[in-house]
This record gives sequence, C-alpha cells and structure tokens, in this order.
Amino acid sequence: MAATSPEKPQTLSGAMTQQEIRRLRRRALLWLRYLVLVILAVLFLFPIFWSFINSIKLPAEALAVPPTYLPTRISFDNYIELTTYGRAGEKGQDDLGLIQHVYNSTVVALITVIGSIVLSTLGGYGFARFNFPGKSVLFIMVLSTLMIPFQSILIPLFVMLVQVKLHDTLFGLALVYITFQLPFGIFLMRNSFLAVPHEIEESALLDGCSSLSILYRLMLRLVLPGIVTVAIFAFINSWNEFLAALIFMSDQDNFTLPVFLTMVRSGLWGTVNWGALQAGVIVSIIPSLAIFLALQRYYMDGLMGGAVKN
Amino acid sequence: MIRQAAVWNLSWEQRRKLTGFLFVLPTVAFVTIFFIVPLGLTFFISLHDWPLFGDRAYIGFSNYSELAADRQYVKSLNFTFRYTLLITPPIFILGFILASLVRRKIRFVGIFRTIFFMPVVIGLGVSSLLWVWLLDDRVGIFNKILLDLNLVPKAQLFLGRPNTAMNVIILSVVWKTVGFTMILLLAGLQAISDELYESAEVDGAGYFKKLFYITLPLMRRTIALALVISVIGSVLAFDQFYIMTRGGPRNSTISIVYWIFNNSFTYFKMGYGAAMSIVLLGILVALTGAQLYILREKD
Amino acid sequence: MVETCGTRCYLNRMSKSKQEDNAMSFGRLTKLALLALLVIAALPLAAQDDQINMTMWVRTISFQTQALVDEWNANNDSQIELTVIPSGEFVTKMGAAIAAGEPPDIASIDLIYTPAFSSAGQLVDITEWVRALPYADDLTPAHMELGMYEGRNYAVPTAVDGSFIIYNVDLFEQAGLDPDNPPSTWGEMLDAMRAIDALGDDIYGYWYSLGCAGCNAFTFLPFIWASGGDVLSDDYSEATITSDPIVRESLEFYNAIWEEGLVPEGASIDNGSNFTNAFAGGNIGMAGTGNFSLSRYKNEFPDIHFDLFHIPGKDGGTASFGGGDVIAIPAGTEHAEEAWRFIEWTLTEGPQIDIYAANGQIPVRLSLADNEYSREDPRFVTSGSALSVGHTPYTVVYNDLFNDPNGPWLEMLQVGILDGDIDGALELGQERFTQIMEG
Repeated sequence: MAATSPEKPQTLSGAMTQQEIRRLRRRALLWLRYLVLVILAVLFLFPIFWSFINSIKLPAEALAVPPTYLPTRISFDNYIELTTYGRAGEKGQDDLGLIQHVYNSTVVALITVIGSIVLSTLGGYGFARFNFPGKSVLFIMVLSTLMIPFQSILIPLFVMLVQVKLHDTLFGLALVYITFQLPFGIFLMRNSFLAVPHEIEESALLDGCSSLSILYRLMLRLVLPGIVTVAIFAFINSWNEFLAALIFMSDQDNFTLPVFLTMVRSGLWGTVNWGALQAGVIVSIIPSLAIFLALQRYYMDGLMGGAVKN
Repeated sequence: MIRQAAVWNLSWEQRRKLTGFLFVLPTVAFVTIFFIVPLGLTFFISLHDWPLFGDRAYIGFSNYSELAADRQYVKSLNFTFRYTLLITPPIFILGFILASLVRRKIRFVGIFRTIFFMPVVIGLGVSSLLWVWLLDDRVGIFNKILLDLNLVPKAQLFLGRPNTAMNVIILSVVWKTVGFTMILLLAGLQAISDELYESAEVDGAGYFKKLFYITLPLMRRTIALALVISVIGSVLAFDQFYIMTRGGPRNSTISIVYWIFNNSFTYFKMGYGAAMSIVLLGILVALTGAQLYILREKD
Repeated sequence: MVETCGTRCYLNRMSKSKQEDNAMSFGRLTKLALLALLVIAALPLAAQDDQINMTMWVRTISFQTQALVDEWNANNDSQIELTVIPSGEFVTKMGAAIAAGEPPDIASIDLIYTPAFSSAGQLVDITEWVRALPYADDLTPAHMELGMYEGRNYAVPTAVDGSFIIYNVDLFEQAGLDPDNPPSTWGEMLDAMRAIDALGDDIYGYWYSLGCAGCNAFTFLPFIWASGGDVLSDDYSEATITSDPIVRESLEFYNAIWEEGLVPEGASIDNGSNFTNAFAGGNIGMAGTGNFSLSRYKNEFPDIHFDLFHIPGKDGGTASFGGGDVIAIPAGTEHAEEAWRFIEWTLTEGPQIDIYAANGQIPVRLSLADNEYSREDPRFVTSGSALSVGHTPYTVVYNDLFNDPNGPWLEMLQVGILDGDIDGALELGQERFTQIMEG
C-alpha cells in the first residue's frame, strides 16, 4: 500500500479527509474486484448456459448453420428424443428408457458414495492416528492408484469380475469405482483427522472408550466436511464415468447414463445429433450440480481442512 | 474365548498397532484386489504377444524393446509432456488469481466460488463434447460471435491446425479443472494468518514482496499437492483428445494414453499396450517423486 | 410427430400396417399367446427350464433390428434380449467380452470386421446351415464374401447399405443443371460443383468429411473402383497405391475440389459429426452417403428436395461400397442352433418385406430389392440397386488400414487432398499399408 500524503487537510470544504480517501479507494477496489469477478463468472457460465439454450431449440434449429442466438420457439423435443430412444418398439412403460439409465447411474453412484465414505473414513483414521509397521508403504500403495492409466487394467479387471460373476452388475461396477476414489478419499480423510487436536480423543481413550466408538461418537462430527467432500467427488466421478461402464455391462438395461447418451447422440460414422447431445449434457449435469450446490457449504471446509493441515 | 484372551494379553501399544491396521485393512484389501492384482496381470500380459482374442505366446521383454523403435510412441510421449508443460502454468496462474479474488469474505463471494467450481462437476467426456460443439465452424457459437463482431474474416477451424488445436483443448481443460485448483489454493491462502500480512505491511512490504516472501513459501505444501494432482491428470490425458480431435490433425495430438488405448483396443495388441502402461507408470512414479522432492519442506 | 419421425414413428407406422394386413394372424396370435400363458402358469418350473434366453448385440445402425426381435419374441418360446452398443465402441466392447469369455449369443457386426473375428476362431462355423438355404445365392454377395474364411461361412447379411451420391434438386435447378440427368463422370461432377458453388458464398458444390476415415472408405473408394482401379491387389495381399495410376488421379480429383474451394473449409477436419448433417443444411450440392441417412433426410428435413445417383468412375461406370452388418454366432454360446433358427427366420421373405422394406431398409436378398415399398419412392430403388455394383475389401486388418482415425488411409487422403502433396501421399500410403499388411 503506498503511503498516503502525511499533510493534514487544510480546509473543511471540498477536500476530503484522509480517512475518506482511504475509504473511497477501498470501495473503488472492491467494485473493481466485483467487476472482474462478474466478467469471469459470465465466461465460466457461458458454455453451460449456451448448451441449455440449444437444448430447448427445435431439433432442426439446433442444427442451423450459422447458429441462431435465441430459440425461435422453445421446444423440449430434444429431451423427448432422449426418453423415447431405444425401446421405442414396445408400448407404454418402456418409453421410459432414460429413467432406467438414470436409475442405474443413481444406484452405482450411491453404492460408490457409501463405499468410498466408509473405506476412506476408516482408512483415513487408521493412517492418521495409528502407528503400525508398513504404514507408509501401504499409504503410498493406495496413493499410487492415481498413477496408472486405468484403461490399461480394464481388461484384467473385467476378466476378474467375470470370474466372480460380478460383471454386468451395477454392484461390480461400483466396487471398481470405489477403488478409484480411494487415493483421493484416503488422502483427504487422513488430513482431516490429522487436523483434529489430539487432546479430544486422548481423554476419551483414558475413559476406556474403544477406538471404534471414539471414531463414531466423537470424530465423525469433526470430520464431516471431509466426508461430504469425499461423497461429492465419489458421486461426480461415478456419475460421469464412461469406458468401464461400457466394457463391464453387457445388458442394455444395465447401461449407465453416459453410455446411453453416447448411444443416442452418435449415429453411423460418428454422426452427432447436436440437439440431443445438448439435452444429454444438461441431463447429466443437473444431478451433480444439485448435489454440489446443496452440500457446497461443507465441501469447501472439507477440501480446505483436508488439503492444508497436516 | 481364547482368541479374545490372546488379544487382551497384548500390550496397549500392540493393541493400538493392531487396531490401526484393522482400520486400514478394508482399503488395503480393495486396492489389492482391484488395483495391485490387475496391475500384476497387466505386467504378465506385457510379457506376451497377446491379441485381444486368439492365441497368446510368451515373448519375454520383446514388447519393451520394441518401444524404442516405435516412432508414434516417442512422438506421443513428447506430445504428452509438451501438453503437460503448457497446461500447468495457466491452471496455476488462473487458479491463483481466482483464489485471491474469492479469498475475502465479501458479499456474494460464495456464489462466485460456486460458479468457478461448477465446470468441475461435469465429466471430462461431456465437457469435451460440449467444446467440440462450441468450437465447430458451422454450428459453433464461438465462430458465430467472432464473425458477427468482424474479428475474423471467415469461420476458424480451431481443431484443424496442430497449434490452435492444442490451444483450444488447453482452454477447455483449464475451464473444466481450474475450479479444483482454485479451491486447493484457496485453502492454502486462508491458512495463512492475516497478522503475518499486517506485520509485513508495517515493514513496508509491497504486493509482490508479500507474495514471494510470505504467501508462496507458506503454501508450499498446498502447491505441491495441487501440482502433483494436476501433473498426473495431464500426463494421463485421454478423453479430450479421443473426443475433440481423434488424434488429428495429421496424428499430431495422440497422447500417450490414447496410444495405449489404440494398441490395446483398436489394434488388439494387448501385450504391447500393457508394456507401455507399465513404462508409463514408472515415468509417473519418478515424476511425482521428483516434484515432491523439489517442493519438500526444507526444515 | 410427422416432422420428427424417428425410430419410434417408423415402428408405429409399421405396427399399424401390420395390424391392417394381418388381422387374421393377429387373432390367432392372441389365442396362441393365451394358450402359452396357460401352459406357463400350469408348469412354471418346467417352462422356465425350457426357456432359451439369448442375448444379441447390435451397433447403433438399424431401425429394423428392434422390430425383428420384438416379432420373434412374440412368436417364439426362445426370447432374445437386444443390446445396442454405441457404434464407435462396438469392436472394443466385443473384443473385451470375447477376451473375458462372455460374448453374446448373436452379434450383428459391421461386415468389415468379420474377417478379423472369424480368422481368430471367434465365430461359429455355419457353412452347412447356409448351404441348406434355398436362396443362399440370392444373399448380397459382398456380405457373403466377407462372412467367409478359408472357404467356410461364418456370417450372413443382416443390414445392407451401399454408398451413392445424394444431390440437392433445388440447387441443381438454380444452377441451370438438369436434375433428371445427374453427372456420370468426374468431369461432369466437377462442372456441376462449380456451377452450384457459383450460386453464392454460403453455397458449396460438394461435401466430404476429411477427418473421418471410415466415411471416405465408404464414399471415396468407389470412385477408384468405378474407374477400374483399386488400392489393394485382387487377392488383397498387397497395396497397389503407387502402382495403380487411378489412385493418383482420384486424389487429384478430390484435391481439385479442395483447391477450388468447392467444399466448405470445415470439411477438412470433420470427424464424421457432420457426415450427414452437412447436406441437411441445404447449402450443399452433392455429397456421398448411404441408405442409412435417407429416412432422416426424408422425415426431419422435408424442405430439402434430394435425389440420388450412383458413384461414377472417371469416364463413366459406377461402383459402390457394400457396407452394413452381417449377423453371426459368437463361439462359446450354448444356443447356437436356436440362434441360427432366428437368423434363418430374418432372411425369409416375410420379415424382409414387412420389416426391412416397410422401414425403408434394403432387403438382404437381391431379388427382393424391387418390392411394393421401394416402388413407392423411386429413390429407394436407386439406393437399393447401388448394391449390385457393391464391393467390399476383404482383409483382416481393414480397421488398421481404413477405419482407424490415426491410420494410413486418412493420413494419405489428408496429405494428398488438403496439402496437395500427391506424391508424398501415395508413397506414405503405400509404405504404411504394406507395413500393416505384412504384420
């Protein structure tokens, strides 16, 4: 901050006091900050907003060259195309193709979220608060999961799942997803537990509480932001994953949303149905966004607690 | 209850050790079954001539020695590292700017944080498809705006030239991932107490002095974490190239994972693809180790 | 509903016509179904044991597949469950399933991949069954040839499609060309493109997707074939890119289109996303395409008046790429005989006319190409007859040569047509083709 002039105001009228100048300056800076923030926010929002605008155009207009800025008529035909794709031949309930795949994705995401929370919390607690031989080796082993292109272990994984008859099940897919959430989850939860002062559980330990009940009764509340963060990321990642879902599932009724959307928007030779694509983008974004918005209060704290403290 | 008696006979120390191990056991089991074992199988496959279907043959380390002569493999490695080098600074600089902007608790700051983080919740595949469409020369909005503002004489083929393709892919990935880096850096920023800055101001320190002598050194751990995550993500980049350019134009954007995918699933050369994966894993472990070593706490 | 007539509308229309035509059999069917229900109710366990459940995989191509399966399931004890695999990932998925020992019972495969699967012993030998068909010789020859390996049959056609040129009748008229007399040589095509291109800045003579490898195998190879040339020797054992002068001339032909700006610039990188969308814009004079796109143009873009002609050779003659799917039984299934029973049924005249032809699809038996439905719209006769000049390369490395977006075929086209380096393109193509074909 440049030092303001030390001379005192000579007159009362017209000239401002030093304090006023500082306040004005601060206010101007604040407005500048807001201006920059608003411009950046518009740029960040634009792609999603634009996708939404196009999803409610008529299918033919969504293909228009050059594109129109605003829809001439609002239409949900692109969304309807999603719901009627696939099982169109049969009447009635089977028109709900989209619902089935949303359901599948939800089930997989829920199992993944629950599994990731349980494993990350237990493991994070273990890695943060206990000493046992081989701890660092195991910790590094968990983190190294991040470093393999998972495309390259896909076939071995698939063969293994077939052996135990878990292929083509939502549960089997979720098990694999959980594993790929673990490095981040364990890392985050370990740091969350490390951030909790030792004194809190020491008194409980002296009172003879078991480690599990300390974790359950005492610690869970303190690391809740971390847990929510793990949950959000587990949800987002399992909700959006495509390749493993495609390889592991053989029955169309088990396809998850991303696989289904790929099917709808792509024709022969990679032809893309742009209108249906945008509708699909919006449909796949909404749940992630809703969950994220609902829980964002926690996850900010969670990421911060998990990322910094040690 | 003999077993229980045995447990009770352990000293408190030993029991703590056992408890700790039991806590991490489920995680270790998952990682072993779904990561270590498949990885072992991948290594096993890499020692074979292993078509996706058909007869297999053990060939020792031939797949590995073949790598050196594979021009596309070397090209892909180069490309992947160039991509990583190019994309890391924008992610960090923009992430840092955003984090600084939303650091103080001013009004509406929560909304702005949320907006900057929003693209993170979109899958990379979906966001890549979205950007292909935004960048299209016929139906894309970017070209429409540029043309209407007379900024370009005719529609640009952003994905059609190696350099612009790289730039727009970086733009799209920065858009999608910078929110995550922002949050991590924000966490680091907020951990630094305001008193430190105030006393520095009393000493007459300017913005950059504070940045280089207080902020960055104290954020070393956070930066290390964000850097490691971002670099691993960039080296393993696949979706954006698979969807946005299909490796084009003229095969100039084939990342290393894309090449592994092509060999395993398009040319059905599983063994060769597996060998590349193992080598890539080695490279990443070394790279991550080096980053952590450079950014280690020096106290 | 009429404007956006997709799959659903087709099937509705079909089932409607079915109801009218087969009111009798519908009644009988209901009785049969009731009887079956009674039997099943009486013997729940036995019925379940006898029930054969089969899985069938298709890629996103055919409107008629769902209808075939529904019809079969309604009339047979065995049930088929249909799974549509995204076409871009079909081979990946199929390969992974075979590797894990979990293939489907029936697979509808892009015919060009058949040699790769049959040569690896992954398909059931159906030679005896095929020989027993009275109409075996009537099945589309390109598909039958691709379904053979070492003299044995492994697949029969299930969806057939030949490539041809679609053209915008209104633009032809505006440019003073005779829409009833479309071009029949490369020179005439170029002249027509130039005339249409002159109509306006936003109007172009032609469209090709030069970022899409498969699209150009489908629509560009026939230009070479129709002129008597080829990129592979007759026995498919070696590449003839540098030795056959026609290949050079065809690249020069496409290069001229690019150099003169007769295609939109975006054509140079289009990875297939706009392969059919481009012509739907109404500002493109001509484009290569296949039967798969016709229904969409007809129903979603009724304002565009189009017609078709066969892909011409340099100085005349025509050719077409015989594309589509064959149907096969993956090795390892327990239901090979029942699977064949289904396949055989799909080839009979009933489904070929009532399901294929009624849905605007080309029947897989040549003698049925001319039928009551195709006669309603002469354009479908043109698209159907393209197959009579249809040809398909037979090679186990087809994918690596032609379809791979990172493969030599596309790179050769891009270097030759876009960069104008024809010599470089031919050498590069010859070298990399040879490399791949030698393993």
